[in-house]
Amino acid sequence: MATTDLLGRPTTEVEDELLALYGRCKALLERDDLDPCVRAGARAATVGLWNAVNDLALEHEQLLDLGA
Amino acid sequence: MGAGEYWNPKTETLGRDELVALQLAKLRRLCDWAAARSPFYQRSFKQAGFEPDQLRSLDDLRRLPMLTREQWMASQGERPPFGLLPVAGREAAIRWHTTSGTTGREPIRVLDTAKDWAWQAEMWCYGLWGFGVRPADTAYVAFGYGSFIGFWGLHYGMEKMGVLNIPGGAQTTEGRVKQIADFGATVVASTPTYALRLAQEAERLGVDLAAGPVQKLILSGEPAGSIPQTKALIERLWGATAGDTAGMTEIGTIMIFECRHQPGGTHIIEDHYIEEVVDPASGEPVGYGEPGERVVTSFGRGIIPLLRYRTADLVAKVPASRCSCGRGFDLYEGGILGRVDDMKLVRGTNVYPRAVEGIVREFDHVEEFQLRLTREGHFDRIALRVEPSPGLADAEWEDMAGRLAKALAEAHEGLRFEVERAAEGELPRFELKARRTVDKRDTPIGG
Repeated sequence: MATTDLLGRPTTEVEDELLALYGRCKALLERDDLDPCVRAGARAATVGLWNAVNDLALEHEQLLDLGA
Repeated sequence: MGAGEYWNPKTETLGRDELVALQLAKLRRLCDWAAARSPFYQRSFKQAGFEPDQLRSLDDLRRLPMLTREQWMASQGERPPFGLLPVAGREAAIRWHTTSGTTGREPIRVLDTAKDWAWQAEMWCYGLWGFGVRPADTAYVAFGYGSFIGFWGLHYGMEKMGVLNIPGGAQTTEGRVKQIADFGATVVASTPTYALRLAQEAERLGVDLAAGPVQKLILSGEPAGSIPQTKALIERLWGATAGDTAGMTEIGTIMIFECRHQPGGTHIIEDHYIEEVVDPASGEPVGYGEPGERVVTSFGRGIIPLLRYRTADLVAKVPASRCSCGRGFDLYEGGILGRVDDMKLVRGTNVYPRAVEGIVREFDHVEEFQLRLTREGHFDRIALRVEPSPGLADAEWEDMAGRLAKALAEAHEGLRFEVERAAEGELPRFELKARRTVDKRDTPIGG
């Protein structure tokens, strides 16, 4: 399914890949059965990807409810 | 421009219309967030009759009330220690910082989540990359690493970029000079005042900075990074180029940076901020080139939404086309020009500390200086106390003092400045924000 950025432009292949990774990291963080080392790593990864997703105007959202 | 010019080519090269559209999209989300979670904004939006769905264009931003520091402080008093602005408590945060306290007032206390903290480093990456810092560099951060946010974000930004980073905390100035030389730093980050202090110390130690590997200085914390005379002096003493940046604890990081083209101003990171410039008295917007007060809306720190915050910084915005770098980001000509309340009225003449510094820095042999205002009866007195280079002969001092007094008077409608020689080591030195203007006119005798 084609997606667009916050400006309505079609996303690129790299942006689609980035969005998919970001979504998977967020989904992982939503689980309540993560060991501390996994949660910390998943949180760091999510935050790192959030910056790229935000910089590229793909999404702009808060992560507070995911503990980040 | 090549693709390597920008940290984030996609948004740094957007045209004005697209930037505005992006800002509006982010603003809507930010207002929804603030309305849903922040007790402060729930109350202020209600009082102003504002609802986020009223945002149809960026002009609608003016429907939102402006936020002042005084309101923030009152909010901290109402609900200590962080006030009503945050959307969550300390349990959601990983950092707690405060304003520097240089004004003697109670500090503003801020929190950051993991995401907010990472975003702050990201803003520094825009600036550092834009000024030409690259992963092959070795950076020395001449900063005390305390509760003041200062260069914390720069440190993490350097790490993120892959720069070899040397934290220069808990050091004497002598120790820092030696480390900069020993480690072969190619980039040094400090306040403008401290860059001068480091250069003075290097000279005392016989370290030739200009012949060393330092190629870039990242300046922040004071307007002096964009005062041409101060900047030229720093660049000459270090044999390096100096790039100005500016940020504030209230947003947690920088919002403007000078790119490597050094256009005489600092780019606003407009995909992450809306920066308005308003008349300080009326709050009405002023046009390009006109000085006014900065009002910032930040899309970064989620735990403390910041909408239309009155900064009291004096700036003059000019269009992006003033710089040849190709960014679509507008600039502040001359960086932060000062504070809206910086101006001193002395016997009917306006005196701006920035202008005084610009004149003082044209003179060699100035180790440190202080502008001192006093009142004798009904008569205001303005004195420039100068600590000259050690060993400056009396005759040379007399000559310099005379020329300084003349230059200051000519720049201030003939106002007479008393130029006084301070003893060696008498004047205060600063690592963070310098405070060189002392106004004792309203201080009781003996105060």
